[in-house]
Amino acid sequence: MGIFLKLFFLVFFTSNIEARPISYNGGKTVMVLKDSMKNSIYYHYSPTYKYSLGVEAIEDKLLSKNYSYLRLTYLLNRKNTKNSQRNLYLQSGISPSGTDNFFYGIHGDWETRRVFSGFSIKRTKNNYKNYTDQFIQLGFSPYLGEYGDLHSWIMVKSKKNSLSNSWSSYPLLKFFKGDFLFEFGFSNKKEWDAHLMYRF
Amino acid sequence: MKQNLIIIFILLIFSSAIYAQNENHTDHFSHEGHIHEEVINGEKLDVNPNRFDLFIVGLKEAQIAIISVNGMVCDFCARGIERSFSKDINIKKIDVDLSRGKILLAYDLLKEINFEEIKKLIVENGQNATDLKIIKL
Repeated sequence: MGIFLKLFFLVFFTSNIEARPISYNGGKTVMVLKDSMKNSIYYHYSPTYKYSLGVEAIEDKLLSKNYSYLRLTYLLNRKNTKNSQRNLYLQSGISPSGTDNFFYGIHGDWETRRVFSGFSIKRTKNNYKNYTDQFIQLGFSPYLGEYGDLHSWIMVKSKKNSLSNSWSSYPLLKFFKGDFLFEFGFSNKKEWDAHLMYRF
Repeated sequence: MKQNLIIIFILLIFSSAIYAQNENHTDHFSHEGHIHEEVINGEKLDVNPNRFDLFIVGLKEAQIAIISVNGMVCDFCARGIERSFSKDINIKKIDVDLSRGKILLAYDLLKEINFEEIKKLIVENGQNATDLKIIKL
């Protein structure tokens, strides 16, 4: 695959990187996600900054199934300081087609304008497989942009799925400007993670 | 893998170049001895001079509320605050000084600025307002 074709693919189709899972008061968010396990489109609405309600449509590559989730993300704890913010979220989802297909987990992050760290543990249960996804993520910003500038982050992500039972680590880049966020990562195993987000 | 690393570096260089271009652009509005050098109640205003100069362009008979905000560490965090204040018809202009953690609001000179209302709006967006300073132009 040529470089430009790869870039095109990444920009338009590309993770399970849940950056900012709750928007601001009254905010709406659309996310397009792609990784080695699934493709998904996720829309959520945040009545307050404490929680978001959403719908996610998933193409599960592992099970070769299509299904959807009604999702709730709740901010369990937030700590604001002058130079940092720390968050801990509860993430959950249930399939409208049956209560035996659901997931739950926690997601946390801590960031300053220069440094970012995050983690997630998610347990999924359905009729076919039960498994756990987890990741940790560390990164830094090579420059400090002002409000409205293009902001860039260089990160390293390690993730593990209990079905494969092995950790994979890879570099990840995140860019955001205005209401758009785009991030992608990849490993030498051709495992692409990508995430396009628009907030409005 | 090598090809992928080349893509990363190209994108980073590209983003840094765009940032540098924006920095040069804002430098044109910078000048010394402006109101941002003032001291209020013994404290020097902690605002980005270039940003402040640009903000007050075209403002007359106005007062500027400079609000210190905790937790405003990224562009996304500040965007909700800007949207909330943009619904207030008493506010003529809004800007965010991300580097110093400040919100700049321009009000009409006669408007009484209520810090409790400002704090409430900022809390509703998930951040905390810790201080307010007002400059009359």
